[in-house]
Amino acid sequence: MHHDGALPAVTAAVLEGGHAAQVELLDRLRAGDRTAFAELVDAWSPMLLRVARLHVSTHASAEEVVQETWLAVIRQLDRFEGRSSLRTWVFRILENQARTRGVREARTVPWSFGSGADGHEHAGATVDRARFRGPEDRWPGGWTPEGRPTAWEPAPEDAAMAAEVRRELRAALDELPERQRTVVELRDVYGLSSDETCERLGLSPGNQRILLHRGRARLRARLEHVYRGTTGEGARRG
Amino acid sequence: MADLPAPRSADDDVLEIACREFVELVTEHMEGTLPKALENAIAAHLELCDPCVVYLEQMRRTAAALETLPTPTLPAAARDRVLEMFTSLHGGTDPAAPR
Ligand SMILES: [Zn+2]
Repeated sequence: MHHDGALPAVTAAVLEGGHAAQVELLDRLRAGDRTAFAELVDAWSPMLLRVARLHVSTHASAEEVVQETWLAVIRQLDRFEGRSSLRTWVFRILENQARTRGVREARTVPWSFGSGADGHEHAGATVDRARFRGPEDRWPGGWTPEGRPTAWEPAPEDAAMAAEVRRELRAALDELPERQRTVVELRDVYGLSSDETCERLGLSPGNQRILLHRGRARLRARLEHVYRGTTGEGARRG
Repeated sequence: MADLPAPRSADDDVLEIACREFVELVTEHMEGTLPKALENAIAAHLELCDPCVVYLEQMRRTAAALETLPTPTLPAAARDRVLEMFTSLHGGTDPAAPR
């Protein structure tokens, strides 16, 4: 779908400004390579919609913001100096569009990460303490025989499990505290990097990791529950 | 994370972690953000602890499964409009398409 030897557009578009492959991609886009542009639109529109929703109150508004973002990218393409990655530049345009619109909609502080609220999200263990041996044990803090995790069979990506796993994960995600859910979605569902996630949400790297950790741990526990419930002893036969 | 296990004593050469500590370090381990001493302790722990290997694998599989969740994208009409605009501003030829 792309020139011989050229990187896929989505790969070149995450490279730092000035990288030869980025220059090559910009040349292709400016020359009207519709295939390369469509590749970016198709790969990034879902995550741009999700990020736009941090700023505007409805999905319909987010769709308009993303469409306006792509139109702005097209109009400004010749002026982009390539100092950042193309992807970073697109995020910046999106956020300008989304903030403008968010203000028009008078959406109030959609994302109050700076508030320090929900401190309890950071407290406590992510795995039930009862699953570990006590301080008097020969192996303090080790798994108890009943508490230790057992391998998931068949694997979550196996066709026999995939649909149920996705259903459970979607439900469990929606039950997470908002900050955890947003971080897990941006990182794991939409594929933003850790830096990108921190920047979108105004989070420190450490806080981002804590939210990711607690969110993922809850989702893992949900899948464990599914495996223990639906396959039970059968899972251990193999 | 917030409560990293402290070394047992000042003259301990080797840092040891328990399973209960590993499960709280697992994300930082996956992110590659732990200090070397803790990474070494985790490597040593995983050598000997199958349940923690399973736990790590389950966290990885959970993250991987999240990637497969369906996500909404632009409606087809909006996508078409964007691509039309691209072509009208940047030229009507697609170098990758047959002439
Ligand atoms: Zn262990």
